[in-house]
Amino acid sequence: MESERIIFHIDANSAFLSWEAAYRLNQGEKIDLRTIPSVVGGDPKTRHGIVLAKSIPAKAYKIKTGESLFAAAQKCPNLTIVPPSYDLYLKCSNAMVDILKRYSPSVQRFSIDECFLDYTGKTLCKKSPFNKACEIKDAIKKELGFTVNIGISNNKLLAKVASDFKKPDMVHTLFPEELKKKMWPLPVEDLFMVGRATKPKLNRMGIFTIGDLANFDLDILKFKFKKPGLLIWEYANGMENSKVSPDSSVGMKGIGNSTTISFDVEDRKTAHLILFSLVETVGMRLRASNNLCSLVSVSIKSNKFSSSSKQRKLYFSTDSTNAIGEISCQLFDELWNGDPIRHIGVSVSSLSSNQRNQLSFFYPGDIEKDERLNRAVDDIREKYGKNSLVRSSFLHSGLKPLNGGSGSDSYPVMSSFL
Amino acid sequence: MKIVAKSIEMIAWFTRDGIPNPIRFRIIEEDKTLKVINVDKIIFREKEKIAGCPAILFNCQSNINKTEKLYQLKYEIDTCKWILFKI
Repeated sequence: MESERIIFHIDANSAFLSWEAAYRLNQGEKIDLRTIPSVVGGDPKTRHGIVLAKSIPAKAYKIKTGESLFAAAQKCPNLTIVPPSYDLYLKCSNAMVDILKRYSPSVQRFSIDECFLDYTGKTLCKKSPFNKACEIKDAIKKELGFTVNIGISNNKLLAKVASDFKKPDMVHTLFPEELKKKMWPLPVEDLFMVGRATKPKLNRMGIFTIGDLANFDLDILKFKFKKPGLLIWEYANGMENSKVSPDSSVGMKGIGNSTTISFDVEDRKTAHLILFSLVETVGMRLRASNNLCSLVSVSIKSNKFSSSSKQRKLYFSTDSTNAIGEISCQLFDELWNGDPIRHIGVSVSSLSSNQRNQLSFFYPGDIEKDERLNRAVDDIREKYGKNSLVRSSFLHSGLKPLNGGSGSDSYPVMSSFL
Repeated sequence: MKIVAKSIEMIAWFTRDGIPNPIRFRIIEEDKTLKVINVDKIIFREKEKIAGCPAILFNCQSNINKTEKLYQLKYEIDTCKWILFKI
């Protein structure tokens, strides 16, 4: 018989901002970023950049995560903006995981600032899980200089909801018997997997709180939302049963890079150059992962924020920068209606291993020659730096020859799988 | 003690186990002159890992301008930098 599980969800409070603040205080800075209206994100001088994290005083100005720095600065004129430093955040995240591993061997890193910890079977200890969670929270605060929220429950979903209750520096429980009191009165968009697209649909059906959803007719939900309807209904009822798996890597399904351009692109040639700068990095990542792709997709966003995308299934599998680049340029030409462009993205999917490959008559050019070229380019870039070898078409263009990627390959990005 | 967080030039010796021991350091004063201070006494040493950056803190005492002063030195392990953290 399986005993009741005890799962902790540990969530760093405004992670990027408090990590930045802790680091800066430790470097002798007088002002704690957490106590003034401040945001982490982008470069305030160029148009590039969105709010990645905000302080609690900045929240009072209704600044939202994800909005542009320009909009945020309009809401609060004396806002302090600091650029992000991903290396530091990775260090903070690793240090947090190290502390958690003292308490349990099964720690799942869910994203850079969130972890699940399985505390099942350790209830024989003198301390209750609640006290233990307080101990973990205080250890992180004392040793690493930032605060976390910990949610405790019998499964990952409820633990995650609990850690979101009241911030900062708190421990909350949400056991199934507390569901009605603590979770059901919350607005429905607070539930995991209910986002800004699902919320208006649910609202139109008269569902405003998680409780409304939990007590709604399942058949109607299934009819309206298909399989996800069942999922969110189960979640609203606190049903979730996935394991805390220390290796949380979900199989990769695609690779893509995109960039927001600091000016509006109005001609085909510049757009093609930007496409190639993205394909360059996508190709390198694809080859580094030992995969081939057989689907290429291009997406663009105009300066009026209307997005469109187009994809093509290939008759062959490839990891060649040139091949992907040519196809993306074709796709772009078919897709673009002439509006000024602000954002371009390229992604590849339908991945297969590069261990064996069915050669094709339809491959444009000499496949073996291409392979050798790509290998040589990758080797040179690895040895002498990313910008040691660039396409000559980028000379005097003022554009970056390689584009996209935050260097975040080394930490997991949050997924929709618990 | 107040936080100053100034980078300093340091002479230190390391034990076989890799524990650093500060001996003498040089600091640039506000009037751009250099001042050398001998570390007379290390009172205690502790490790810290604020914001995930490992460092060793040394609480020390020295005779500076004919007064005994307490201060805190910090050795940042990732960057190998010595810092006069508090005085």
